[in-house]
Amino acid sequence: MSGILCAIRGGPSSRPTIATSIQLAQETDEVIYFLYVVNLDFLTHSSSSKTNNISQEIHDMGEFILLSAQEQASEAGAQAEGIIREGRVVEEIISYCEEQSPRYVILGRPEEEGEDNLLSIERLQAFADRINEACQAQVIFSAEKHIPTEED
Amino acid sequence: MAKTKLAGTILFILALTIFLFSMENASAADVNSELSYIFGKIQDAQLQPVKGVEVSLISGLDTNIETLSSALTQEDGSYAIKVPIPILEQSKLLFSRHHFQQTINNIPAADIKQLQLGNSVSFPLVTLDREITPAFWIAAIIFVIVLFLIATGFLHNTLAAFAGTSALLAISYLGSPFLPDLYIFDFPQAITYIDWNVIFLIMGMMMVIAVVENTGIFHWLSYHAYRISGGKMIILLPVLMLITGISSAFLDNVTTMLLMTPITVQIALALNVSPLILLIPEVFASNVIGVSTLIGTPTNILIGSFGNITFNDFLTNLTPGVFLAFLALIVYSWLTYRKELTEEKPSSPLLLEKLEERGKITNPENLKKAGWIGAGMMLLFVFGEKVHLLPSVTALIGASALLIWIRPDIEEMIGAVDWTTLVFFMSLFIVVGAIQEVGLISAIATVIGKLIGENLVLAMIVVTWFSAILSMVIANIPFTAAMLPVIAYLTLIIPGAESKVLFYCLSIGAAMGGNGSLIGASANMITAGIAERAGYRITYKYFLKKGLPALIITVSISLVWLLIRFT
Repeated sequence: MSGILCAIRGGPSSRPTIATSIQLAQETDEVIYFLYVVNLDFLTHSSSSKTNNISQEIHDMGEFILLSAQEQASEAGAQAEGIIREGRVVEEIISYCEEQSPRYVILGRPEEEGEDNLLSIERLQAFADRINEACQAQVIFSAEKHIPTEED
Repeated sequence: MAKTKLAGTILFILALTIFLFSMENASAADVNSELSYIFGKIQDAQLQPVKGVEVSLISGLDTNIETLSSALTQEDGSYAIKVPIPILEQSKLLFSRHHFQQTINNIPAADIKQLQLGNSVSFPLVTLDREITPAFWIAAIIFVIVLFLIATGFLHNTLAAFAGTSALLAISYLGSPFLPDLYIFDFPQAITYIDWNVIFLIMGMMMVIAVVENTGIFHWLSYHAYRISGGKMIILLPVLMLITGISSAFLDNVTTMLLMTPITVQIALALNVSPLILLIPEVFASNVIGVSTLIGTPTNILIGSFGNITFNDFLTNLTPGVFLAFLALIVYSWLTYRKELTEEKPSSPLLLEKLEERGKITNPENLKKAGWIGAGMMLLFVFGEKVHLLPSVTALIGASALLIWIRPDIEEMIGAVDWTTLVFFMSLFIVVGAIQEVGLISAIATVIGKLIGENLVLAMIVVTWFSAILSMVIANIPFTAAMLPVIAYLTLIIPGAESKVLFYCLSIGAAMGGNGSLIGASANMITAGIAERAGYRITYKYFLKKGLPALIITVSISLVWLLIRFT
């Protein structure tokens, strides 16, 4: 068991999660594995079925988001790698945990209820239990909650 | 010698056959010329020809009516009914068709005399009144349900329209044997409402787009937009808006935003700014500039095909107004995001390097070929109207030429066609055809016609703003499809509207209205969906706050342009 798994989406709401994982990496000397999940569910209700093309484009976008996080980690002296998967976020985190058995998993705190906000406070704990069951990793909630601003 | 004789005999038999055949036809023609006909035309209250009316020549009293002859009206509402001689003086014409009131008209005495003399006569124009049956309400309810399902996203657009079509046909076939008034239309009639020009134009363009989008052109353009701007947001913003807008004028808006949004997010991340300050103006530009060409938006394709408006008509009548609206949109975007655009933020060298690495043409050979074919297609779009070349034929010629030239995997290319969208359009045409068939569209047209009167300026303002406001809340494709017959009616009754200006008003309202709300256009939803995948949420409130002023500015400017040009 080694490494810190940190699933990120990018944007302002991922900043606290990234910061927490970097801080933990500095303390434990573990490698951070930033995970970005390509999820195309939002195309379900559009009249377009161009999932093939958009999958690659979002994959490329995810790479950028991961590079950005890796750059931050590198500047802070932490070692980080990026992983991209396709599917549903919850399932992919669990699947990664089962395959790679990370020592720590960093989870962000929800800002508000929403279609894609996979974790309400109650479900967050249930999800943490699931992760623990899958790989015995220690689940850490990111230190602060991001306050949305006008720019967001 | 024997061979010559045989050949001569065969020739003789052939000549004799042709002679006898022509004699027979001549005598048939003679017989026909001795027959009398009643010619006429039938229209509805909206002055539109009515096809499929059964016209019967009848005689006798109410209880003992005898049908002497009958005929069906053609596409242009005309009919020619054979009159058996001698004709009785009390003969009448009976007009019957589903969803119209049955009408019996007397044949004038003077015409009867002419017919008795063996002459043909022309019957006065007949206007049929609509009949409201249960089918009217059923078709209307199904249409509203389909709109609701699309607007709420409860069902996929295509599934909603497809289910609506099935329901309409099921009720017609299974319900009408028990209650004849449930009959809406049969299958052959339903498919006549599908505009195949639209379907084939979209299909052809999809194949061309499928080749272009895999060449890396969007990455190349976006990276060069960054280079041209030197990383200055104030320059980068209008350049990206222009790239998005011009792409939207030739590709559909959804495809453009599907390709532009992830690339824009990458540029924004590299420059360390929020992607939203680029994405929101880009999607506005896409919705605005898409209006400038016939192929820029699905609504324009519908309008062009229905209103017989050519590629050149759109270019000459809409493009200048759209260009002015676009300039105003750039100024608006600068002002809206002035703080973020002028803020100095350190960019990421690593991400800029990656951006440069990706900003390359990945398939120059295909891009070159697509460029030549695209240029040829533009020439055909522009000059093809001189030989009545339909845009769908140009798109098919272009797609076929491109496929033959580049020889891609044909399975892959067929897979690149968005069949979901095509099925959506076909089903939607049938759903809208049903409300046309039962008379709902006519009723709406009559009400709007009465409200507007004969004032062209008022009609232009009402059509433009009505379309823009409704497009904010309901899907603009079904809305446009339903409005087309209404606009056709207004074009006929309002003096000065024969320039088809009201179709342009509909085009502006339906497409630019999409900027008013997040659900106003599919391109908005796609942009929001991808932005959310990058962690930047575009809320309904945020989009409304930025989009509503954009809608008011761009629609007003475009409307003023149309008013100057057409009044």
